[in-house]
Amino acid sequence: MNFKGTLPTLILEALAHEPSHGYRIAQRIKERSRGVLDFKEGTLYPALHKLESEGLVESYEGVENGRTRRYYRITKSGKGTLAKDRAEWRELSQAVTMILGEA
Amino acid sequence: MTALEQWLQQATRSLAKEPAAQVRCEIQEHYESARETARADGVSEQDAERKAIAALGDAKAANCEYRKVLLTRAEARLLREGNWEARMVCHRPGFKPFLLLLVAAALLGAAVFYRDGVGATAQVLLVAGIVLGVLFGAPFLPIYTPSRSRVYRYVKWTMLLGMFALIFGRDAWKWSWLLVSCLWPVFWVEWRRMSIRRKLRVADWPKQLYL
Repeated sequence: MNFKGTLPTLILEALAHEPSHGYRIAQRIKERSRGVLDFKEGTLYPALHKLESEGLVESYEGVENGRTRRYYRITKSGKGTLAKDRAEWRELSQAVTMILGEA
Repeated sequence: MTALEQWLQQATRSLAKEPAAQVRCEIQEHYESARETARADGVSEQDAERKAIAALGDAKAANCEYRKVLLTRAEARLLREGNWEARMVCHRPGFKPFLLLLVAAALLGAAVFYRDGVGATAQVLLVAGIVLGVLFGAPFLPIYTPSRSRVYRYVKWTMLLGMFALIFGRDAWKWSWLLVSCLWPVFWVEWRRMSIRRKLRVADWPKQLYL
């Protein structure tokens, strides 16, 4: 399913619970959508870099299984943006459900 | 060359050295994790590698996305070499006072010509003095925040265009080809700087990006 415009919000949501690295973020999005949101993982990192340059996430180096990895965590500003995106999404999905539900 | 190396070469095409190294590192980590997960699920080594590459998607599409958010080689070069005007001023001790004297001379000249009744020349000198003052006075102005620097840039460009309109008067539109052909490198650099401002965190902006 094409969900390009919502990828940054989904990344912020995935990071809202705990800091994570790119691979785990991708797996979490796929698992939580039960495979419906299946995206090309190469496009995840540009979205992460954009969020980082906007100050919504920050990165640091961590070690997992003896391997150094780049971890990302959500910032205070990122939490604010996520709350706003969540409210907007609820409003939009309610409106679309009202229209499509009538059909 | 491995499939991963081919993917990385395409995905990092025309990116600057440092961002390209970062992309390589994170994609290699990602690839290794995907490959190990597939191997743990009982998939053969070859199929695990194929699956990990397929999950990354189209390298050209990834490159396109990366170039929107990371510095390209041309942009990195602009950041390194594009500040030649400021370096030229700073490296010559007498040059800075000379430029400020030039501004003072233009303003003084405007006053003298006004007094002598040569209004048109005085007007041109006055505008030139103000524009030069805005350009050369930038390092002394408190413009080093994103919003203030935006205002500074609007003022700078409005003044440059206003000066052109004042010099050429009613023929300004007719002579606009001259402005465009002479100043296209300036416009091009400004266009590149806009792109760099979007990509870099404000904390990482060098002084030239505020101007």
